[in-house]
Order: sequence, then structure tokens, then C-alpha cells
Amino acid sequence: MQPFLFVLFPLLVKLILFPGLCVADDARARQIMEAVEARDDGDNQTTDMLMVLIDKNKKQRKKFFQNYSKDFGKDTKRIMFIKSPAPIKNTGFLTFDYDDDAKDDDQWLFLPAVGKTKRIATSDKSSSFMGSDLNYSDMTSRNLEDYKFRLLKESTIKGQKVWVIESIPRNRKIEDEIGYKKSIVAVGQDNYLVIRAKMWTSEGGYVKYLEAKKIELIDGIWVITQTQVSKKQGKAFKHQTLLEFTNVKFNQDLDENIFTIRRLEKGLF
Amino acid sequence: MKSIRSRIEARFEFFAHVLFDHRYKMLVVMLLFVFLLASQIPGIRLDTSTEGFLHETDPILIEYEGFRDLFGRDEMAIVAVRSENIFDFKFLGKLKNLHEDLRNNLPYLDDITSLVNARNTHGIDDELIVENLFEKWPANKQELNVLARQAKQNPMYKNLLLSEDGKLTTIVLKTHTYSGQGGETEEDLAGFSDEAPDIGDPLDGDADWNIEKQVYLTDMENSEFVAALGRILDQHRTGDFPVFMAGTPVVTDFLKQSMISNMRRFMGIALVVISIFLFVMFRRLSGVLMPVFIVMVSLVSTVGLMALTGVAIKIPTQILPSFLLSVAVGASVHILVMFFQSFDRGETKRDAIAHALGHSGLAILMTSLTTAAGLLSFSTAEVAPIADLGLFSAAGVILSLVYTIVFLPVLLSIFPIKSKFTKEISGQLSVKGTPGNTATPMPMDAVLNFVARISTQNPVKILLTALILFVIALTGALKIELSHDPVRWLPDQSDVRISNEILDHELKGTTSIEVVVDTKKENGLYDPDLLARLEHSGQLFETYKDDKVYVGKAFSLTMVIKETNQALHGNNPLFYKVPDNRDLIAQELFLFENSGSDDLEDFTDSQFSKARLTLKLPFVDAIAYSSFMDHVQDHFQSGYPHENIQITGMVAILSRVLTNAMHSMMKSYGYAFGVITLLMVLLIGRVKIGFFSMIPNIYPIFIMLGVMGWFHIPMDLFTMLVGSIAIGLAVDDTIHFMHNFRRYYEKYQDPVAAVYETLHTTGRAMLVTTCVLSIGFFTFMFSEMNNLFNFGFLAGFTLILALLSDYFIAPALMVLLNKKTISNS
Repeated sequence: MQPFLFVLFPLLVKLILFPGLCVADDARARQIMEAVEARDDGDNQTTDMLMVLIDKNKKQRKKFFQNYSKDFGKDTKRIMFIKSPAPIKNTGFLTFDYDDDAKDDDQWLFLPAVGKTKRIATSDKSSSFMGSDLNYSDMTSRNLEDYKFRLLKESTIKGQKVWVIESIPRNRKIEDEIGYKKSIVAVGQDNYLVIRAKMWTSEGGYVKYLEAKKIELIDGIWVITQTQVSKKQGKAFKHQTLLEFTNVKFNQDLDENIFTIRRLEKGLF
Repeated sequence: MKSIRSRIEARFEFFAHVLFDHRYKMLVVMLLFVFLLASQIPGIRLDTSTEGFLHETDPILIEYEGFRDLFGRDEMAIVAVRSENIFDFKFLGKLKNLHEDLRNNLPYLDDITSLVNARNTHGIDDELIVENLFEKWPANKQELNVLARQAKQNPMYKNLLLSEDGKLTTIVLKTHTYSGQGGETEEDLAGFSDEAPDIGDPLDGDADWNIEKQVYLTDMENSEFVAALGRILDQHRTGDFPVFMAGTPVVTDFLKQSMISNMRRFMGIALVVISIFLFVMFRRLSGVLMPVFIVMVSLVSTVGLMALTGVAIKIPTQILPSFLLSVAVGASVHILVMFFQSFDRGETKRDAIAHALGHSGLAILMTSLTTAAGLLSFSTAEVAPIADLGLFSAAGVILSLVYTIVFLPVLLSIFPIKSKFTKEISGQLSVKGTPGNTATPMPMDAVLNFVARISTQNPVKILLTALILFVIALTGALKIELSHDPVRWLPDQSDVRISNEILDHELKGTTSIEVVVDTKKENGLYDPDLLARLEHSGQLFETYKDDKVYVGKAFSLTMVIKETNQALHGNNPLFYKVPDNRDLIAQELFLFENSGSDDLEDFTDSQFSKARLTLKLPFVDAIAYSSFMDHVQDHFQSGYPHENIQITGMVAILSRVLTNAMHSMMKSYGYAFGVITLLMVLLIGRVKIGFFSMIPNIYPIFIMLGVMGWFHIPMDLFTMLVGSIAIGLAVDDTIHFMHNFRRYYEKYQDPVAAVYETLHTTGRAMLVTTCVLSIGFFTFMFSEMNNLFNFGFLAGFTLILALLSDYFIAPALMVLLNKKTISNS
């Protein structure tokens, strides 16, 4: 079989299976999204993360995390430890985020109170990340082939020029998996960062508003260090999450052994 | 007194002349006024919700709304399917299709739960799995059997998704809490707070926090939801897949649809009845069209006024339109009787109008005021729609008064009316020296003569009989049962009633008491002692049972913890318990939070400071909940001394409505009696006779209460209205009777002659208006709703009693109280 057929055949299958593909995809929009994904975000990174959950009565709840991540080829491994609040201190998370679509991500959770590590099935990425307003799908890299993109317009947000791009999952299966039926994102034309996103959830009729509140240039890499996510139903605010990243460091030459269950159970230090 | 009355009558006559002289100007003014109010009508709202019975300021409602803001709407729509074998591939396939169809096509759907996606937490080796029960479709019978066993053993499913006998399964649908009105636009990036000032430190992060009060899901949205649900179920329903729907959203919608059709039907019937009577009475088109026009504009103006002030039409207010039609027509009748009498005698239109207004103006004013006072007695009711009904029906009566003494004379003066002067037959009346009468048929006179003869010849016997009846009624009144039971309002054979009763029975309850335990501190729910108490409370209540109330299921956060704890310990049933280690509880909750389920938000706030305990109860009469509510109150007050406790939910709302209704009833009866007595004393000008005149007014109320007691008609939101409405209406007849009796007594100085004369003049109008009113009320008996049936029957019956007491008791009293001074005058 000619090499190009290998390329063409799966494409034909997709065309038949997912007629949505037949709708002309916006090449320009896809190009921009590819640039967003290809943007240098560092091969390995350490950071502290503060997560503030705010309910509709403005009551706050804070969690502090220590976060290490490293790229292994196209896959990413991440280990996180909770520093506070006290009752869940040293609870740890180990995640293998595989580039390969066919492979479910691996995830383990270590509970110090029972001294046990549990693997968690994560085929469903539409669920909340640590009780926040973000989904697991928001926290992992996405496969651009799963979406249709359309460039809606160019605009300016707080003086920054942006592309406004609509993204729709190609089929119901993907929609169920990520939990959104549609998103509209604003991509900064100078730094290729998604500085705003509005996501319509598949269930419950919620809309999430994600906004980069603070962007810093660290070690030559643009990093969003403060993110705010608000969840609304109709006009009503349901909940809000704020993420703040501090001590962001790149290229720390992290040891491969950090990303193991053994390390998860022992703690980092 | 005589001079004051003549002066007022002269004023009315003068006023009528002025109206006649400026009739075209007045027509324009009146039409403009009506138009202004009518133009508001398109904005009228309907509200048939259970919580709509409470005032927005009611602390119980505020507490409930706080609960609903936190945990979402607690009333679910429930779809149920029965099958001999639920865990069968064919059946489950159908269930899954239905589930998917509902999930994809129902508007305003917040959450859907059935066996298809029910949470199934379990551990395999080192893996914790929180997945949907049918996450992976079983490949063969063995796999299906494993799932069936898990489902039947899962305590969470029992009586929620699966009945105890395992032959009924449900799909539970939770709608949005808030209305989508004016909310989210689909437009690209709209909704961010660009206009807000820069927020500085985003961790203060509330720049775009929307603190305005949200609108809850509207009745229109609820109806849209129920209609779509009905359509989808119709597509899936087959002989071996018998699917039906129930739950509060469905009942609310049914009540609304029934209310709309009822209002149309009742108004139609009321108009037909009124027209027939008017025609029989006046035998001319103008005598039908004008009063009908007057009552219609009164009604239109009143509904316009409701729309203008943003008051919704609720279940009790649905009686307002037809009620107002019947009540308002009386005043027009009194004016027209006098007008046609004079006009047909050959007087000019101008004089006939003046005569009619002079003769009946004061009586109409007084009757309208007393009716309004009776109705207004509800305006302070703690049951919101009863207060609305009181306020707006009183407003409607006053509006119709204005239209009757202003608009009606204007119409009479402008539109051509033929005088029957030449055809007039005079000298029909048995009592000599009275004004000639209209073309009333002879049988009526015979009846009136008979009444006058009996009542004036045997006053003592009449009063004694009345007394005996009164005592019998009083013993019955003591047996009256209180009730507030919206599901039993539904027609006995209606699908929605049957569905609700089946589900209530099979799932051990479809309504709930919600208890919110507030620890007042972040992570307060990590406390093992608190969770143990919560668990204990749930278990304790699950054993509760009295005559009618039992707890079908109690569940809270502890269910999630127990199930996670068990899964974490290799599915060992011994670990289906709340651990006594604070850190472990925290970590298990954290584990659950991260394992793919968003269900925690149903049980706690995001601070883990408040826990919700749901007690599932059968839907019974609110009166039956009261002792259980007390029990719950006592239990939590003593068992949770350091926590804040809120007891709310549908059951709390229902109980509150009942309590409020009873308070309000006592208040409104007392108030109506007081105000009307005062007005009677003022009208008659003598305290003693004023008080005696109240006897024929309140007598029918006691008889009605006796009938309710003896025939087991419950005292509910509707039947409680009858008393005050009847006092307000019955007094009209008494006023007309007393007003005329005084006039003729002064003239003849003979009570017997005065009674004859009164019955032959006003007595006719009393008979006609009572017929119109009571038939107007009896039309409610055509309603499919049981509550309206009782109301219609009692109100119509009481008005007939009121007429009888004005025909017999009032004359008997007057004959005994007034002496004959000049004979054969």
C-alpha cells in the first residue's frame, strides 16, 4: 500500500463516522490553535499552587499544593502534594497524561490516613478537578483533532489583540468526555496564550468564564500565574475558583524517580 | 336619620343629573381609565407552586429559599417504569434509550439520575472505581447479574431508583433552580466583566460577583419542561414499557393547566347564567348587555390592577374572575330595576336615572363597602394568595361600584332604550299604595306573599326552629377537620394523581423534610462525632412511624463516606460505616471529590460546614405532619446544641401554609364580623337593631360550619374562604332588606306591612341576585379539582341559606322588635 494511503484511509473513515468533519474547518483557526498547543511551556516545571474555592455566599476555602511536572516525549507526568489544610496534608496525586488518545490517563491518589495508594479510573475527564470549577479536561493537553474550530473575529481585550475562536467537539463521545458542548476562547496575538475562555457545559446548563488575571514572563516562558474561573447558570453565579501559581521554576532537571508511586507514598522531602 | 338619608339620596340624584349633562365627557374618561388598566393584562403571571402560598417575607419561605440556593431545587420530577424483570437486556436497553433521550432533549434539565448512570463506588485490588452503574454495557448474562446484585444491594438506590420489591425503577430529573430569563446570551465572549473596575488582587476576586436576587425557574419554564417530558415519554411508552411521570413539577404544571381551563370555563358559565337571569328579569337586550358590560370592565380592570402590581394569579385567586362577575352584577341589577320602573312609568331618562341612583345609590354604596370589607378581611392573611384574593376582589368590588354609579348611568343616558310605558300593566301588587312594578311574572309574587305571611305570622316559631338548627350545627362545627393536601385536590382518576400515589407508595414517599446542620466552621463536617450523630439521627428517624407519617429513607453525607470507606477497604461490608478518624474522613471526602463524581454538592456546601439530611416522607395531609415536625424539631434541638439547625423542605412549607391558614381564618372571620357589624350599626343608626341585624348574617355561616362538620368536608384554604365571603355577600341582602324595611316602617308605622312591601320590592332583587350568585358559585362544582368543588358547593349553599334567613329570620326579628303604632295606614 502506498504510504499516502495510510494517511488517507483513517481520514476517510473519520469522514464517514463523523459527518461533522465535512463541515469546512477553519484552517486559520486551526493554525492558531496549533500554535497555542505548540507554544513553549517548558519541559519540566515546579510550582506552588494556591486554589481558592468561593461559593455564592463568598465563603472561601483554600488549598495549597506543591506541583512538579515533566515531559517525557509527548507524555507528561505530574506529581502534586497537598500542603494544607491539615486534615488532607501530604495527600498526593500522581498523574500520567498520555498523548495517545487510545490510552486512558493514569492517576493515583495516596491517602496518608490509611497509608494506601489508590488508582483512580479517569476515563471521564468531565468531572471536577479537586472540587474546583475546572474539569480534568481543562488541566490536560487536548487533542486538536477532536474539535472543529472557527475564527469568529479579531478583537482587543484590555489593550491586547486577540483572536476569538470557537471550538466544538466533533462528536457526542468527545463532548461527554470533556464535559463541554462548546467553548469560545480568546488567544493573545502576541503570546499565544488563551487569556479568556467561555465554556458551555454539556449538562446542567452552566457556563464557565475562565480568565487569565496575571501573566508573567518567567525564564523566557509566558506563564499565567493567576486564573479566575466563574461558573454561572443563567444569570446566577454558582461558584468561583481562583488559582495562583508562585515559585514557578522551569528546567529544574527533575529526576525521573520523582514521578513514581514509591515517591508518592514517601512524600517529596 | 331620615334627614341624613334623604340628604344623601338627594346628593345621588344631583350627581346623576350632573352625569347625564356631561355624559360624553364621562364616557371618554371612563373608557380611558378602563383601557389603561386593561393594557396591563398581557403582563399577568401564573404561579401554582407550593411555595407560592407563602408571602415572600415569610421566614419559613426565606429559609427554604436559602436552602434552595445552596442545594438546588429539592422537588424532582420522577419518571417511573414498572417491569417484572428490570435487569433484563431488553428492558435496560429501553431504559437507556429513554435516559439518553431525556438527557439530550429536556430543557432546563440540571441533573438526571437513573440506574443507567447511578453512582457505583467500589474497589478492585488497588483501584478505587467511582463509575456509572452501566458505564460499560454488560457483555453477557453473568456480567449483568453482577450489576443486578450490586444494584439491589446498594442502600443508596433503595426507594430512590429501585423499589423494595425491585419491580419499579425511576429516572429522577432535577430542573434548574433559577430562571434562564435575560441570562446567558450565546454571543461569543459576552459575560466577562470588562466594564468593572480593575480588581487589583484577584484573590479578593469578587469584581463580577452578582449579588442581585435571582429569579427562580418560572412557571412558563416549568411548563415547557413538563410538556417536553410528556412528549418524550409518549414516544417511549409501550405495552411492556409502561412509563409514567410524577413529582412536584408535574403536579404544579397540572394545577396550572387545570386552573387556566377552569377560569375560562367558569367565566363562560358565569356569563351565561348572568345573561339568562338578566333577560328573565328585564326582558330586554339593554338589561342584559349593560350589566354584563359593567361586570366585564370591572373584571378586566381588576386583573389589569394585579398585572400592574406584579401579583400572580395563584390557585386560590383563580376563583376571582367568575366570583367578581357574580358579585358585581348585583349592584347593576338594583340600579336597573329602579331605572326601568321609573322609565317605563313614563319618566324621562334623565329623571329615571336620577331616581334610580337616588333610591338605590346609598344601598349599593353600603353593600359594596360591606362586601369589600368582608373580602378585605383576607388581605392580611399569612397565606399569600388568600391575601391577594382578599385585596383584589375587594378592589374589584370597589371598581365595579364606581362603574355602576358612574359608567352605568352614562351608558343609560347615551344608548337608546325603549320605554315600555304604553304596555305597562299596573296594580299587580297585593299591597296597595306601593309603586307600580315591572313586568315580573305572577308566580314570584305568590312566593313572596307566602314568605311574608309565614314570617310575619309565626315569628316566635321561626326563631325557635332556627335556634334548634343552630344548636345542631354548632355540635357539627366542633367536628370540623383541618386540611391542606394539594395532591388530593387533583381529580381522583387523573393520571397525575394516580402516578403520584403509586410512587408515593412504592418508593415510600415522594416529598421530604430537609434538615441543614450548620457547624458554623470550615471543615466542620470532618468531625467524626458530628457525623456519628448525623448517622444516628438518620437511623433513628428511619424507624419513625405514626398513623400516617413514616420516613421512607434518610440520607446525608454519611452515605457517601460509608460507601467510600467500604470501597477503600476492599468492598468489605464491615467497613460500611463512618470512620472515627478526622483525617481519614477528610481524605475520603477528598478522594470522592476527585474520583469523578459531583454528587457532594447535593449533601454539603463547598466549605464542608453544612450538612444536609433528607428525610423522605409520604405525601399526606399537612395536618398529619405537625407532630412529626415537632418531633424532628425537638430531636435536633437537644442533639445538636452547638450547631445551627434549619428544618425546611416541602413538608415544612406545607405545614406552614396550614398553620398560617388557620391563624388567618380566625383573624379574617373576626375582622369581617366586626367591621360589618359596625357598618350595619352606622347604616341603621341604632346599636341594638344593628346588632340584631347581624343575626341573619352570621346564622348561615354557623349552619355552613355545621354542614362541614357533619358531612366531613375539610376546612382548607378554599372552604375557609366561604365564611368571610358569605358574610360579605349575605350582608348585602340584609342591608337591602333593612334599608327598605326602615323606609317602609317609617311610612306605614306597621312592621307587617313594611315586611310585605320590602319583600315585594327589594325581596325580588334579593332573590334574583342570590340565584345569580349561588349559581355562579355552584359552577365551581363542575371543576375537576376537588377543592373547588367543595368551595363552590359550600359558598352557593351558604348564600341560599343567607337568603332564607333574610326571608324568614330577619322579618320575624323585625316584627318582634318593632311595634305597630298606627293601624291600617
